[in-house]
Amino acid sequence: MGARARLLLLLPSTTYRAAAFVEAARRLDVDLTVASDRNSVFSGREPEGLATFDFADRGRAVAQAAAFAAEHPVAAVVGVDDDTAILAAAIAEALGRPHNPLAATLAARNKLEQRRALAAARVPVPAFRDHGLDEDPRAVARAAAYPCVLKPLCLSASRGVIRADTAEAFLAAHRTLTTILEAPEVAARGAESRRYLVEAFVPGPEFALEGLLEDGRLVVLALFDKPDPLDGPYFEETIYVTPTRLGEGARRSLADCAARAAAALGLVTGPVHVELRLNDAGPWLIELGARPIGGRCSQVLRFGEGAGAITLEELLLRQALGMRVPSFEREAAAAGVMMIPVPGAGVLRAVRGVDAARAVPGVEDVAITAHRGQRMVPLPSGSQYPGFIFARGASAAGVEGALRRAHACLRFDVAAPGD
Amino acid sequence: MHPWVVTPGRGAQGQARVDRDRARWDNSFVDREIRITAEPIDGARCRFVVSEPLLDGVRRFATAEEAAGSPLAVALFGIAGVREVVVSGGTVTVTKEGPAPWAATGKQVGAAIRSTLASGVPPVAAAAPSAGSGGDEALYSRVADLFEAEINPAVARHGGFVELIDVQDAIVMLRMGGGCQGCGMADVTLRQGIETALRRRVPEIAGVVDITDHSAGTNPYVAASKK
Repeated sequence: MGARARLLLLLPSTTYRAAAFVEAARRLDVDLTVASDRNSVFSGREPEGLATFDFADRGRAVAQAAAFAAEHPVAAVVGVDDDTAILAAAIAEALGRPHNPLAATLAARNKLEQRRALAAARVPVPAFRDHGLDEDPRAVARAAAYPCVLKPLCLSASRGVIRADTAEAFLAAHRTLTTILEAPEVAARGAESRRYLVEAFVPGPEFALEGLLEDGRLVVLALFDKPDPLDGPYFEETIYVTPTRLGEGARRSLADCAARAAAALGLVTGPVHVELRLNDAGPWLIELGARPIGGRCSQVLRFGEGAGAITLEELLLRQALGMRVPSFEREAAAAGVMMIPVPGAGVLRAVRGVDAARAVPGVEDVAITAHRGQRMVPLPSGSQYPGFIFARGASAAGVEGALRRAHACLRFDVAAPGD
Repeated sequence: MHPWVVTPGRGAQGQARVDRDRARWDNSFVDREIRITAEPIDGARCRFVVSEPLLDGVRRFATAEEAAGSPLAVALFGIAGVREVVVSGGTVTVTKEGPAPWAATGKQVGAAIRSTLASGVPPVAAAAPSAGSGGDEALYSRVADLFEAEINPAVARHGGFVELIDVQDAIVMLRMGGGCQGCGMADVTLRQGIETALRRRVPEIAGVVDITDHSAGTNPYVAASKK
């Protein structure tokens, strides 16, 4: 191996996180190879820096990575989302590099396997049952306890997740879910795309924990409040604010729950993003991903203070490469992000009020990531955010207020379908 | 200096785009309200899109000394932590030290832009020939050749194009368009494709600055999604 370590970064072509990870890698003294699922126009000219792997066929992707690594030795393999976390583990295993056990990443990715493993380890998870689209929905509806939540096994980020309070609502939700899962791009995922969970709705506020596993030990990087109630029927993520306004005891109980969940799944290294709820019965583990926070939300996280502070992506890459991490301590300021809700179905024609939103005190940026002409699809079917609002301030309450005021400035001109 | 030079070989199409830009800016004179949009790129860099033109061309300032004679650049280097300023048409890209929030620095940058424009003097002087500019001229020519022969034919396969805006102090300034503008993988294309090719073929290049307004892209080759 040469003097400089080589990082193999697995970036799905549709990720929001390409620039954040690439720029973080550039700040480190490493050679970077970006492997993606689509050919870059420069893949042929720059084969050391750009590779194309078959992300849909893990065995083939591992063989492609092994062939690449035979020519260009790889020090670390990093994925950025649920799917590439699995692929990173498989490739790292084949290359003999540090990694999570493949079985652990697979269990984390599959909602059913995850719940089974967590329930077996007595981690509190909602009561759940596994069903197939081919089963009679009326029979499933009759057997369900209400309120319940229908949750597809193969989708992420609240897509297809629908609450039902009655059997009639269940059947309506089932019809919607069937339409989503039978869409060609989802159906292409195979048999798993036809399965879903019916689980108990857990009342109570929701929180997100961003963590890092080091030799199986959970380091809590940030704990976010989600101040908008997530009571359904759809579960659209909006505001994340950190630090949480919970007291020390509640914070500790959420962190303990997350740590037990990661251990139950067998995860030992790298990032975890954990969704939890808290009510009178204590913490509940809703989801755990062996990946960092999604979208562009990581932009609000900085570790350390002053000129030496680093981004979440740099922290993750440093850990993967065995480099010193200068600080695991998030900066002192409160910070928050709003994933801007889809304003309605149709084609985005214009976004107005961005300057006014950016001028709101405390707001650092308003990033409109949807482009003019893009089709906007709300939950439960949609998979794209119109954009993100980022704020920082002295208090979590102030940051939340800034995000809401900035959002109120925005006006989306969306042409209804057929206009 | 290469005021509004477009990549050789793009011919009338490139010139038409430049003309459209000029027309848009000329129209902005009708409305004297100065609108400034701050678009943080990351903790270190932020792009400020100004509703009025600042410079017919592009200039990069790496030190306060280089800023002498350009009131806007002088004002910006007076802000604590600013270490690089690139002015291109109506866009100012500021690089600062440390990851401190842009909220505070951005307001100072906005105030500097407004006060400079209000003074009525040209905010940025055209670059005077310097000892190093001959080197930049030569680099420009080599980079332009590479853009024409390799870079643009490649990105055209995804409906994109890249304009070479200028080379100053061995820093290449470019703007992406078409399928590249707003593409979720634009940074990968830039750093792993274009910059790597440039550094290998023109090793004297010291860096690459992307001055694209990616938020204005209307037909990105890949749009990001939650999966």
